[in-house]
Amino acid sequence: MVSSDTVTKPLRAIGEFFAMALDTFVLMFKPPFAWREFLLQSWFVARVSIFPTLLLTIPFTVLVVFTLNILLVEFGAADFSGTGAATASVTQIGPVVTVLVVAGTGATAMCADLGARTIREELDVLRVMGVNPIHRLVVPRVLAATVVAASLVSLVTIVGMAGSFVFAVFVQHVTPGAFVAGLTLLTGLPDVVLGLVKGALFGMAAGLIACYKGISVGGGPQGVGNAVNETVVYSFMALFVINIVATAVFYTSLQ
Amino acid sequence: MSQNIPVRQGVKRLRHMASGVAGGWNQVGTQVAFYAKTIAETRTAFSRYKKEMLRLVAQMSLGTGALAVIGGTVVIVGFLTLSTGAVIAVQGYNQLSGIGVEAMTGFISAYVNVRIISPAVAGIGLAATIGAGTTAQLGAMRIAEEIDALEVMAVRSVAYLASTRVVAGVVVVIPLYCVAVLCAFLAARFGTTGIYGQSTGVYDHYFNTFLNATDLIWSFFTVLIVAVAVMLVHTFYGFTASGGPAGVGEAVGHAVRTSLIVLVFVVLAISLSVYGQSGNFNLSG
Repeated sequence: MVSSDTVTKPLRAIGEFFAMALDTFVLMFKPPFAWREFLLQSWFVARVSIFPTLLLTIPFTVLVVFTLNILLVEFGAADFSGTGAATASVTQIGPVVTVLVVAGTGATAMCADLGARTIREELDVLRVMGVNPIHRLVVPRVLAATVVAASLVSLVTIVGMAGSFVFAVFVQHVTPGAFVAGLTLLTGLPDVVLGLVKGALFGMAAGLIACYKGISVGGGPQGVGNAVNETVVYSFMALFVINIVATAVFYTSLQ
Repeated sequence: MSQNIPVRQGVKRLRHMASGVAGGWNQVGTQVAFYAKTIAETRTAFSRYKKEMLRLVAQMSLGTGALAVIGGTVVIVGFLTLSTGAVIAVQGYNQLSGIGVEAMTGFISAYVNVRIISPAVAGIGLAATIGAGTTAQLGAMRIAEEIDALEVMAVRSVAYLASTRVVAGVVVVIPLYCVAVLCAFLAARFGTTGIYGQSTGVYDHYFNTFLNATDLIWSFFTVLIVAVAVMLVHTFYGFTASGGPAGVGEAVGHAVRTSLIVLVFVVLAISLSVYGQSGNFNLSG
């Protein structure tokens, strides 16, 4: 027998999440804006994300370029390996690696930090002092995640293209000139904009999920651990969905 | 005198940096020692803690807490691969129709899904759900000094907590991988034929022609190695968590970050060594 509580609990959580997201968007435009917190959080997210980003991007692009080049060499079209690399790293690898990093490192750290504050009842203290924790803590965090994710996309794209250039030219013996000439064949400004928009959306979603999970923690150390775990799972799921929707909308609008 | 202070500060900073480097290096050593011990104690786990292992397999496959409500790990991984398979349909179909060969979408699905997406996404799913859960659980035990209590009671803590979890993770990843591959194939097929309106015959023809059984077996093997690596990383970070509730959260974050990096390197290393320069791929028979 499933009690009505187990059924309504997830629904309630979804409702609370959207209520918090709405609060965040409304309070985003309400002065005073917490600049200091925003800058600190941006620096924090960037600092924990940059190193894993580089470590994830290089093998990921090499893997994809390697697999694509096998195909292109078989077709006798190895000169187009630059085209494949650009398409892959601008439209898919850039945003997806950013997802993994922002959700896996930035969001988890954010959730752990907020969760620990919730456990220590610091948020209740803020409320007692008449400070809205969403305005003071959540808004700058969500904006910081958005800004950093959008900038990480560009970093991932550039590193990915450089990595694939080195791998294709020096390991798989593609002509460097042909590689560079092929870069812009299928990939143009719209694709770059798509990548950046995806990155910003991912960052915002991951930030919102992390903050929601962080401020609704309960149950001691295990609770914080579980909240971080759920942050990872939910943000991965949300991000994969955003990825497909954004890609589909983009290609439909092109036609 | 005034010249001396910057020099002294420089020396101090240098010493700080050196201790940072040495600390990082020691951390690598500690991790390797822990991994070796965990793997070596697997035998003990099999002979003494079989019951605990079975319990963990059941717990991991169904998930705990809020994750169990939405269907557990299998559903989450299925969901992730469904969406990546659908991305293949969307991007592959549109990009290929740009050069007039959208008939080859089935081939892209059979090729990219097997070689990259299924192992990577099954691994990511494992790290995000089971792995992060393991770190949270072990971290909470460490903070509450339950692990120390186990040791005091003469229970082999590494075998009882870490080795059993690594084995259980590897067992659970087998159905996870099957679900991942099937979902990726189905989503790519449905997206291409159902939404973009390609005829199913064309799709199935190219899909079946290029689906390579050897590749599938290698991809399965990759996932098993990935599972061992991911579970080892996650048990280590849980086992060595410190610093109260925030410490557990941080440990989970560190573990996810490290295991994602390890995962990509493992997949890359295996596919480079298996497929090599020739690519084990024959278009013209």
